[in-house]
Amino acid sequence: MTAYLEFKGVEKAFSGKAVLKGMNLAVTKGEVMFIIGTSGVGKSVTIKHLIGLLRIDAGEIWFDGQRVDKLPERKLAALRKRIGMVFQSSTLFDSMTLAENVALPLRKHQRLGWDASLDQARVRLAQVYMAEYADRYPAELSDGMRKRAAIARTLALEPDVVLFDEPTTGLDPVSARRIDRLIRELADKLGVTAIVVSHDPPSIFGIADRVAFLYRGVVHVVATPAELRASSDPIVQQFIRGQSSGPMETPGF
Amino acid sequence: MKALRAARDLWIVYVSTIAGVLRRGGARGELVRQLHAIGNKSVLFIVVTLGFIGMVMAYEACSQLSRITGDYSQIGGQFIRLIVSDFGPTLTALMLATRVGAGIAAEIGSMKVTEQIDALRMSGVQPIDYLIVPRFIASVIMTLLLSVIGGLVMFGAGGLTAEHSFGVNPEIFYDFTQVRPRHLILMCIKALAYGAAIPIVAGFCGLRARGSSEGVGWATTAAVIGGSFAVIVLDFIISAAALFVTGGDL
Repeated sequence: MTAYLEFKGVEKAFSGKAVLKGMNLAVTKGEVMFIIGTSGVGKSVTIKHLIGLLRIDAGEIWFDGQRVDKLPERKLAALRKRIGMVFQSSTLFDSMTLAENVALPLRKHQRLGWDASLDQARVRLAQVYMAEYADRYPAELSDGMRKRAAIARTLALEPDVVLFDEPTTGLDPVSARRIDRLIRELADKLGVTAIVVSHDPPSIFGIADRVAFLYRGVVHVVATPAELRASSDPIVQQFIRGQSSGPMETPGF
Repeated sequence: MKALRAARDLWIVYVSTIAGVLRRGGARGELVRQLHAIGNKSVLFIVVTLGFIGMVMAYEACSQLSRITGDYSQIGGQFIRLIVSDFGPTLTALMLATRVGAGIAAEIGSMKVTEQIDALRMSGVQPIDYLIVPRFIASVIMTLLLSVIGGLVMFGAGGLTAEHSFGVNPEIFYDFTQVRPRHLILMCIKALAYGAAIPIVAGFCGLRARGSSEGVGWATTAAVIGGSFAVIVLDFIISAAALFVTGGDL
């Protein structure tokens, strides 16, 4: 199967400290790929490179047959229409209602008028069961509701790929599973490719097609959830079992 | 190297802001909001602080004169000349660098560390257009207006102090004849320059915030120090240039 999205030998360092050290990963169209690993290993950094929020130091990133890591900022707008991102902390704009938040990318990317964008925004909010909260401000809502509204904002542009940065972190189990279901439905019903950064085992083993385990700056293993469970690799086993002692190096501990 | 990179980034923010102003990048509603936040909400602060400074300066000046000549006939004229050409815009800008600069840096800095700036970019919005351009325009307009208000309050408060503490006749003190058009031009140039510098420095500091609340705190402190420093340096440069242009006849 040909890769829809591909990282080739990607390297990235911050203040001289190498985070990614020649990372390779290929994602096929329509799959739900989870990127897992310990905190600080470079999972969020990896996905931010895809949309030019961070720049790689070396290597290549390809999307749908086009190299995207060298694109200048002005050309990234087109890419960001096709690849959306749901950030870890929802990142809704406090001074706007949910409808206005969702309408913003429609106005900017699709040049829709104010009223048309708000109408579209309400439709998108309804898709994540948030229609009745369209005129509320983010501060008035729970974390789970804000997360769903952030997903609606990302889906407003009908992206081909959605990047989720720890979408279930900080949510109660019920809300977390609803977010999982939403991600799965995106892939199954709309054919959206999803890359999910997570270390939430129920999500990983519940909805992932494949899992990339990031360790020491490279992809240590790529496997299906079942293969991962059955893996004899002691590092993988330590991670998925959440054991405090074992062969895994965890900086800071 | 870090200082050079910072200077380059500050220059990029400045050029991008000017480009944003020229292509009308900022949202009109946001501009109105910022005019209110930077201007209206600073009026009381500026009036009170410059009023007190005016009283202290007039008192000190009268006190010194009373020991030397006791002739107060020139004090009002010289005082307003000094206020118009320097103290009015400079002290107003120093006050705004603390109140407005800190606010801009804290707001943009917290948006940076919570990834809202990245979310703006993902929404097709240029962060400088959306966040700095409206604040820049509002700051330029309001620094000029507040400089005029602050200067008048400073002069008025100084005159009251001179009258009540030293018996200076208000008709003698409130003498505007010493103010020449070149002083008014100098005031406008300084106010516009300060009004431009404060949001640029504060926005730049906010955009450089890293990490979490500590990063926002750093950005806020840096914005106040950087903004105040910029005002002082600009005051020196503009005053020196004015002296040069007028051949010392200022």
